[in-house]
Amino acid sequence: MTANNLRLAGRSLRRDLRAADVRALFAALVLAVAASTMIAFFIDRIERGLERQASQLLGGDLVIEQRDPFAPDVRDALEGAGFTLSDQVDLVSMIRKGERFQPASLKAVDDVYPHYGVSQVERGDGVESLASGPPAGEAWADPRLANLIDLALGDEIKVGDTTLTVTGFIEREADQSAGFGNFNPRLMVHVDDLEATGLIQEGSRVEFEILAAGPPQALDAVQPLLNELRRDGVEVRDIRADRPQLGNALERAESYLGIAGLAAVLLAGVAVAMSTRRYVERHLDTAALLRCFGASQQQLGIIFGLQLIGLALVASLLGALLGLVGQAILLALLANFLPMTLPPPGIMPLLLGVFTAIAVLVGFAGPTLLRIQRVSALKVLRRELDPLPPSAWLVVVFAALVFGGLLWLYSGSAVLSLALLAGGGVMLVLLWALSALLLNALLRLVQGLKGHGEWQQALRLGGRQLARRRQAGLGQLLAFSVTFFAMAMMVLVRGDLLTTWQAQLPENTPNYFALNIQPPERDPFEETIAPHVAAQSTLYPMVRGRITRINDKPPQQAVDPEARGDNALRRELNLTWQAELPEGNEVVAGEWFDVDAGEEVPSIGWMAELDAVEQMPPVPVSMEDGLANRLGLGLGDTLTFSVGGRDIKTRLTSLRSLNWDSFNPNFYVIFPPGVLETFGHSFITAFYLPEDEQNLTRELVERFPGVTLLNVDAILGQVRDVLTQVTRAIELILALVLLAGVSVLYAALTASRPVRAHESGLLRVFGAGNRMISRIQGAEYALLGVASGLMGAALAELATGVLYIYWLDLPPRLHGMLWLVLPLGGALLIGVIGHWLSRGLRRQAPAASLGLLGEA
Amino acid sequence: MLQATSLCKTVTSGERTLSILQNLSISVVAGESVAILGKSGAGKSTLLGLLAGLDIPSEGELMMFGHALGRLDEDGRAGLRAGRVGFVFQNFQLLPTLSAIENVLLPLELSPRSGELKTAQYWLERVGLGERTSHLPKQLSGGEQQRVAIARAFVTDPELVFADEPTGNLDPETGAQVIDLLFSLNQEAGTTLILVTHDQALARRCSRCLRLENGYLSEFQPEADVSSGESA
Repeated sequence: MTANNLRLAGRSLRRDLRAADVRALFAALVLAVAASTMIAFFIDRIERGLERQASQLLGGDLVIEQRDPFAPDVRDALEGAGFTLSDQVDLVSMIRKGERFQPASLKAVDDVYPHYGVSQVERGDGVESLASGPPAGEAWADPRLANLIDLALGDEIKVGDTTLTVTGFIEREADQSAGFGNFNPRLMVHVDDLEATGLIQEGSRVEFEILAAGPPQALDAVQPLLNELRRDGVEVRDIRADRPQLGNALERAESYLGIAGLAAVLLAGVAVAMSTRRYVERHLDTAALLRCFGASQQQLGIIFGLQLIGLALVASLLGALLGLVGQAILLALLANFLPMTLPPPGIMPLLLGVFTAIAVLVGFAGPTLLRIQRVSALKVLRRELDPLPPSAWLVVVFAALVFGGLLWLYSGSAVLSLALLAGGGVMLVLLWALSALLLNALLRLVQGLKGHGEWQQALRLGGRQLARRRQAGLGQLLAFSVTFFAMAMMVLVRGDLLTTWQAQLPENTPNYFALNIQPPERDPFEETIAPHVAAQSTLYPMVRGRITRINDKPPQQAVDPEARGDNALRRELNLTWQAELPEGNEVVAGEWFDVDAGEEVPSIGWMAELDAVEQMPPVPVSMEDGLANRLGLGLGDTLTFSVGGRDIKTRLTSLRSLNWDSFNPNFYVIFPPGVLETFGHSFITAFYLPEDEQNLTRELVERFPGVTLLNVDAILGQVRDVLTQVTRAIELILALVLLAGVSVLYAALTASRPVRAHESGLLRVFGAGNRMISRIQGAEYALLGVASGLMGAALAELATGVLYIYWLDLPPRLHGMLWLVLPLGGALLIGVIGHWLSRGLRRQAPAASLGLLGEA
Repeated sequence: MLQATSLCKTVTSGERTLSILQNLSISVVAGESVAILGKSGAGKSTLLGLLAGLDIPSEGELMMFGHALGRLDEDGRAGLRAGRVGFVFQNFQLLPTLSAIENVLLPLELSPRSGELKTAQYWLERVGLGERTSHLPKQLSGGEQQRVAIARAFVTDPELVFADEPTGNLDPETGAQVIDLLFSLNQEAGTTLILVTHDQALARRCSRCLRLENGYLSEFQPEADVSSGESA
């Protein structure tokens, strides 16, 4: 019997797919699954890929760094936890080739190096990918170093007391992160050669690093040790805390994809709910007939249950397949930007997709389907004899539970899901009330229309039809509002994201940095570049200084234990002075210096004795808010900087937020003018040099040999690439959401088709022509479209405002066009789909239309 | 075959109780064809529903194939019908998404036996639609749809066929053809036929005629020439 039921369910499913409502249901399900799996696959793979890339950029899963060699117990503890260790030593030293000298940034690596990734090295046979460092006795040099001292492969260089042979040029280091931290060219050597160099002595500036690679559990196990190390001022970086900055762009894109995925699932859910009604109603007839032929309740339950599950499975498989293809397209679009090879798609997103389909179907269709079992065979004789609809409460609660579960699954946060669900519930009630009010107002407006023109009449009649089916009309209005809202929101957010990104990197974003411009070179340098560059940032003076005391205590004691290893406390900071707030900076707390007031800023003047600096009252300074947060500092806290061997006491009078992605020089700490001028300083600036002016760089190098020119075209291009490709990915997702929206409209209009067909059949009997009927239906669609467009616009404004503030970190704004486009576009879209769906009816005789009630 | 004793059916709407059928008794033996004649609203369809076990009486007892329907639950009654009872409806009741042959197959699929497809094809040929098996209901005329329904009613080789106003939705000429078909198949198969109609001419073709009036059932001999005055 069961095998037969299975067969029967399979057959009915196949036959059922001919019905428009089942096709709509099927399409909605496929879309829901495709959208959710595509996004889940995509995010899953990207995240796992990013984690791997993070480890690679960091050089390991955990990196600890200090000025002295590590004690054996630290190494033992790490190895005991399951880490593989690699030793690395960094220092700056003079390199000599013959009579030519050049400071280089020395990096000594062991045989384990690198834990992850490969280095690109030229060893005479083209660029090779190597998963190792140079062997003992050899050195690999940065091509810049080669240019500076005329190095060729096979040359011998003197490093400290020892001589090494240059056997490779490093195009790219396995663990090199893009940054401006290190301006000396790299020389990579083997740790075994270090001792012979004699460079490591008491007091020399050396960084010892342990790079550890291991599983996440190992990282958990050593947390107490790491905290202890941090308290001792050791710098600790791990992949969880120190994910390399991918820029806000990608993070926002991920947020966008997440929201879009939910929107698609929600839309598909609405479509499923709309199609289910019609699906169930049609199947009531089948069920009654089957009852007549002798099918038992249980048999009906099994047949229709199996059929529904079959539908969900087929849809989810097809959807998952589409999702798989979709994520491949998405990744292909992003391929140039993603340097890593991604792990293959996991099984989780697939399961998630299948679960989504079944959950959406069962959640929205399950309770209504219970009616089918209870159908009476007598319905074949008396049509009106429908079983009681399930309690509205049951339907709503069940659907809410399922949707809440999905939210939980997607967001991973029960609290957030509950909040969203509760908020959604309240919104739904409000929306229902608002829809009723809006519909009433519109209908009254229409009924009040004077005149006997064709359109006035059509509007009056269309309005009346809508009023007669008030409950159904309200349901549609609600579904359309939610649809337009979701579609509009995704369009708006996309537009604003793109605008923000474009604003972030305008046409003339600096592509060159010039550092080490000495004061006498300042004016000649500016005069030289002025005719050639298209844009130039401010020329900032730069003085190096170290934080020696915080609130009159040693920094290590003044800050929280977690902040003790912070780079800002361990290294010299670049300090500058400015009278005006630099462009792109924003004061978020306190006040910017009031230079004209004079009193607040103690001035020592150009000729003052250096000693005077130490006697000054605290100098007001401005700090970047991120650093202040990390160190736990606020307005009024005092900091003492050691600059050029002198202590300068300062007080925080303002905190600034600044845009790190702007490609302009940025400073953690800014002084007012009149304090730092007495110290040795140089200038830094950034400028945009157009493609056809590149010859200028040669001239600059010749005229200003001391100035370091840094070309960031490559990095800039990479960021631009990310933006372009992320934009494409977002457009693909947007198309998917819009498609889901259209599927809702299609499902809803399909569901109401028989009723409309019946109405227009009657009107035709009474003598209305096709034109008249089209006009009346058009009027009805227009009313529905305008009302749901208005509601959708209101919802979208509200939701984007909240999203911008809390999720996407963008300033909220009003979208005027929305209030025009959505009602008009909504009316047009509904009208076109409705017109298309009823095309057959217009050619049919009224008798056929009247008999259509109950058909697909 | 079918034995009804003192059947009553009352419906309550609000405070009022409406008696539709009162104290009806009827006995149908195998091979008989019985017409139940009555005006529109006389309760013909209600009676048919009761006799076929699609509905339960307020009072009285009904025996079908030797089983007391009152002692069976809904599923039990359905089980009794399976394969043994066929139906022809006024509005055909074909499923719109199923082709002609799939509609005929439907009752067979509930209790599978071998050669279903051949049986269905055979019955479609019998009703003259052997060439149109893959057509959907909407591609068939009203008369053709009712012929599919007749094929569906006979496909399980039933002992009892109920017909509810089988010509009600058809023009007189098509109706006559459909009725000819129904009676010839019925005769051939030796099936018991219970037919509900308001058409005296149709009733005359049955071996027995019963009139349903004011809730009571009475046997009568149809007059040869009366045809008007009974239209709905």
